[in-house]
Amino acid sequence: MSRFLIQRPLPHGGRLVERVITDKEAAKKMIKGCPSYDIKPTLHYETGVPVRNVYREIMSICYGFFSPVEGSMKQAEVERILKERRLLNEWIFPYPLVFDISEEDYKKLGVGAGDRLVLNLKGKPFAILDIEEVWRIDNPEELAHLTFGTPERNPEVVKEPFNKKHPGWVIYRSLQPVVLAGKYTIINEPKLRPPFDRFWYPPRKSREEFDRRGWRTVINHQTRNVPHVGHEFLMKCAAFTGDVEPCHGILVNAVIGVKRRGDYPDEAIVEGHEAVNKGGYIKPERHLPTIVLWDMRYGNPLESLLHGIIRQNMGCTHHMFGRDHAAVGEYYDKWATQILWTKGIPSFGFPAPPTDVPYGLDIRPQNMREFSYCPTCKEMAYSETCGHKREKLSGSFLRGMVAEGVQPPSIIMRPEVYKVIVKWWKHFGYPFCNEKYVVNKEKELEVDLEDL
Amino acid sequence: MGEYFIVVLLDDHRMAKIRGTGLEENIKYMFGGELRLLEVPVNEELKDKILQEFDTARVDSRGAITDVPVAFMRELFNQIVEKKSLGPEVVEAVLQKVDEIKEAAAKESEYLPPPEID
Repeated sequence: MSRFLIQRPLPHGGRLVERVITDKEAAKKMIKGCPSYDIKPTLHYETGVPVRNVYREIMSICYGFFSPVEGSMKQAEVERILKERRLLNEWIFPYPLVFDISEEDYKKLGVGAGDRLVLNLKGKPFAILDIEEVWRIDNPEELAHLTFGTPERNPEVVKEPFNKKHPGWVIYRSLQPVVLAGKYTIINEPKLRPPFDRFWYPPRKSREEFDRRGWRTVINHQTRNVPHVGHEFLMKCAAFTGDVEPCHGILVNAVIGVKRRGDYPDEAIVEGHEAVNKGGYIKPERHLPTIVLWDMRYGNPLESLLHGIIRQNMGCTHHMFGRDHAAVGEYYDKWATQILWTKGIPSFGFPAPPTDVPYGLDIRPQNMREFSYCPTCKEMAYSETCGHKREKLSGSFLRGMVAEGVQPPSIIMRPEVYKVIVKWWKHFGYPFCNEKYVVNKEKELEVDLEDL
Repeated sequence: MGEYFIVVLLDDHRMAKIRGTGLEENIKYMFGGELRLLEVPVNEELKDKILQEFDTARVDSRGAITDVPVAFMRELFNQIVEKKSLGPEVVEAVLQKVDEIKEAAAKESEYLPPPEID
């Protein structure tokens, strides 16, 4: 065996967290006599619009995407994350994750440390929270600032103070004051709704799928977008990294969660990526579109850290990162993610890259720039190797074209991908997420539950 | 070419309508000839009127007027075909329907008619 061969990394923390009870009778016994609580969406602190649903965090924790996190965090853990981006067990982690409720609900429930709380979703028992600690968020605005950083505290990468225009900041600013901390366990496995069901590959399943396909090296492509040809070339060319040969597989992992107006619908995103391989632009044998449930925090370098954790847990060996990774606005340096993965960001607790600190990650970053069309080369060209003037592919240019009902040429967007956009356009009456889509999505969610 | 312009994209459907209007020679190409478009010149006065009527509209660094409602763009194309011209009368005719366009634009956040493709 060549010493240059890269092996699949262990999950972050050394083992996969799996907290899902599949035996319904055992589950019934576990919840007998326990108080219950209907999970509510987190509503924007000013507008009342849903900005998060904690059920997605419970799913991602219990199925191991966020290993080694096992539940809603205690106060000391949140404080450590905000200071050093580490859990109490030392492993690096970027964000506080909490189960928050209002004072009114807390009084009604009358629960405390040592109690087991049944969490209902869509009127059915879904999970349990074994409460270990109850603590309070005294100042959600301060929590939001500490979560994302400030220009004063994090001058290496934070360019502007965060505010209510940033959707991640709004999530933390909108949290309820009482935190019930403790481990979650899913006691009634939800069924993913179509089309999400066929893209559901929790870490154990994705690792098994990689084995079945003979993928030793796998590079991840993070997405929240319908793929255009620039994305396709990014995936194909980034996959040329690897070890003694290009990566065996390309994992597309779409973050599915609360949407913003103007985004493409999640259904079009996942099926759009699938259309890339169905159309043969990337062989299906080398390409696997999947999802993770998470309400994006848009924390650029911090989000990239979470992405690294999720995809390492799923079994990836490499992760591609681009400009403005998981970013909105100009709060962070546009290269903040690549700075983190190549040099570290000391003020966030990383004097070295997250792969070079104790209890860090093993997934390898592949920092990429852009692909766009070169009329001289007459092909899609990489910004760092092509010396000609190129025609940039911008998402807004494409969205404008789509909105007008003009089919983009296949050099920009594959016809199979466009057909998927139109399919869901016909379904929703709109090519992008509008208010109706956003509201309905948060009512219907991505799952259904059966009776326990 | 005036100081400002609006880009009108042409897919096969629109190309069929352009054929025979005499506007074919004005077609420009991007992406190796894969994307066809017309650039409609807009003078200062009409540019100001567009920006005044549609608060989302803006002028980008190339002088292109963008982010106007889809209803505006559709009507612009209709007028180009009807008048077989890229002259100022085209944008003027579109602006004469400004109330109708605004009414359609208000509904655009709720519904946009999908294209008919196979």
